[in-house]
Amino acid sequence: MGDLTTMMWKETSELFGNRRFSVVFAVAILAMGVLPTLALAKHHGHIIAANSLLLVMIRLVYVLLATAIVVAQTAPDMVLHERVGHTLDYLLTTRLSNYAIFGAKILVSSLVGYVVALSAVFIQLVVTALIGGGGWNWLYLGLPIGRVSVFAVTAALSLYVSVVGTFVALRVGEQRAAYMVSVLAIGLLIVPFLLGWLTFSLTTLWVTHAAIIVGAIGIALAVVGLRVFRRDMLVLYLRD
Amino acid sequence: MNGDELVDSQVIECRGLSRNFGSRAAVSNLEFNVSRGAVFGFLGPNGAGKTTTVRMMVGMLRPSSGSVRVLGLDPILQGEQVRSRCGVMLDNVGLYERLSARQNLLFAAKVARLDAALGRQRVDEALHRVDLWDRRNDKVSGFSKGMRQKLGLARALMSEPEILILDEPTAGLDPANIVMVRELLVSLAQESGRTIFLCTHLLAEAQRICSRVAIMQNGRLLAIGDPNELGEQSLPNFRLRLSGANSDKVRTLSLPGGARLSPLGGDEWRVSVAGPADIEGIVIALVHEGIGIRAVVPEQVSLEEQYLRLVGGETNG
Repeated sequence: MGDLTTMMWKETSELFGNRRFSVVFAVAILAMGVLPTLALAKHHGHIIAANSLLLVMIRLVYVLLATAIVVAQTAPDMVLHERVGHTLDYLLTTRLSNYAIFGAKILVSSLVGYVVALSAVFIQLVVTALIGGGGWNWLYLGLPIGRVSVFAVTAALSLYVSVVGTFVALRVGEQRAAYMVSVLAIGLLIVPFLLGWLTFSLTTLWVTHAAIIVGAIGIALAVVGLRVFRRDMLVLYLRD
Repeated sequence: MNGDELVDSQVIECRGLSRNFGSRAAVSNLEFNVSRGAVFGFLGPNGAGKTTTVRMMVGMLRPSSGSVRVLGLDPILQGEQVRSRCGVMLDNVGLYERLSARQNLLFAAKVARLDAALGRQRVDEALHRVDLWDRRNDKVSGFSKGMRQKLGLARALMSEPEILILDEPTAGLDPANIVMVRELLVSLAQESGRTIFLCTHLLAEAQRICSRVAIMQNGRLLAIGDPNELGEQSLPNFRLRLSGANSDKVRTLSLPGGARLSPLGGDEWRVSVAGPADIEGIVIALVHEGIGIRAVVPEQVSLEEQYLRLVGGETNG
């Protein structure tokens, strides 16, 4: 546990010194927090935009989008900059376990996604309050399904994308490719719906199950990835 | 076998160690031991297999065949134990560019599981030792190659390891920084009990601080031994001072073992022989030819000369 904390400290310290990350983080929060609220208010009027269930829920899609974009950028970047800078080689010469090294990357990038989601929600609430002028409107946070979506679905989605992005970056070795594969992994979640195996339902129970399933897939992938990972093979990947 | 049973014994043992990459043998049938407390120089040109050997020693790479034991432990099966007792600096130092020098060392201290106060104390000592105290809060991205090498060295020492493995610690440094790192290595070598495994191109430094050296080329071990005695192991040189010698005649003399005399100027000649005993036969042959011999002086072959002979003149630094 101490090693995991050490690695998380390192990852967090590095994130604060990463201009690229700061830009993506800020743009994602502002774009997904401010723009949808302003756009919906402009087209439908701020009272309707703040109270129509459909319009309220549409905002939620932007929160999930912000989460996915930031995690799909951050998780591969955490691995790739270590590959390029040869710090991954250094980590492999230390007594740190694979679980600590890669577990910390997964956890920190997941947390980043979660913070982005909560920040985007907060900004949406502030913008709604400002343009509405009628005090706080809790939007989807006032609904059980909204709360499950904001606090559970975003966490599950962050974890899932983070796991995929981390392990893909170990093999792919190129930021754009790793990002694309991470985004593709989100697309894979939609495939069962497109094939008609599953049907979407806007109920609290359904969304709760979806969050649990996505989270479970993320955890399962992380466990399998760490078990399959062979430290003595990574040097060969890094040579490629 | 527990590593603690190896006190006063071999801390690194390679037995038929080989590693192939596809059809290419990066390391082939490597056999050597390193004793506790030794400063072992691992010499060879680029591509000799030094880094691959280091990677197998710390469990970053699995041997294709043979074995390596570090502190009596298998680096693949007991990697965490091996790595917790070794400080490693690879040829690419691998520092965190977005962190400061101090943060890099604090991270290494945390990795070594030092408690916070001891970690900070050791980090500050290390920064003074490598002369980076004034730059401690600067991000590594602004550091020169020399500063990075010194910081990498400091990081490898953070856990006070039993074995210090340094892969080209002076590569790419300017002369002033080479002297600085050399002095640091000399002081580290004098600290009792610590084994240093030094991959280097700096033959003069290796001769000066290493108690034993191995010379590698193309993944094979060419020679191993005391750096001062290594030159005497094969092809010793003798410098002869002759009198009454006709140069053309001396050049074409048929000497035992096919030896040839080469002129050094004046009445001085050099001969390389297969073994020290052969010089007697050469002296007798010269006397038979009526050539006077005023002096026979064995030449000390430097590690650098021996290295160049063995690797065919490829210096790489």
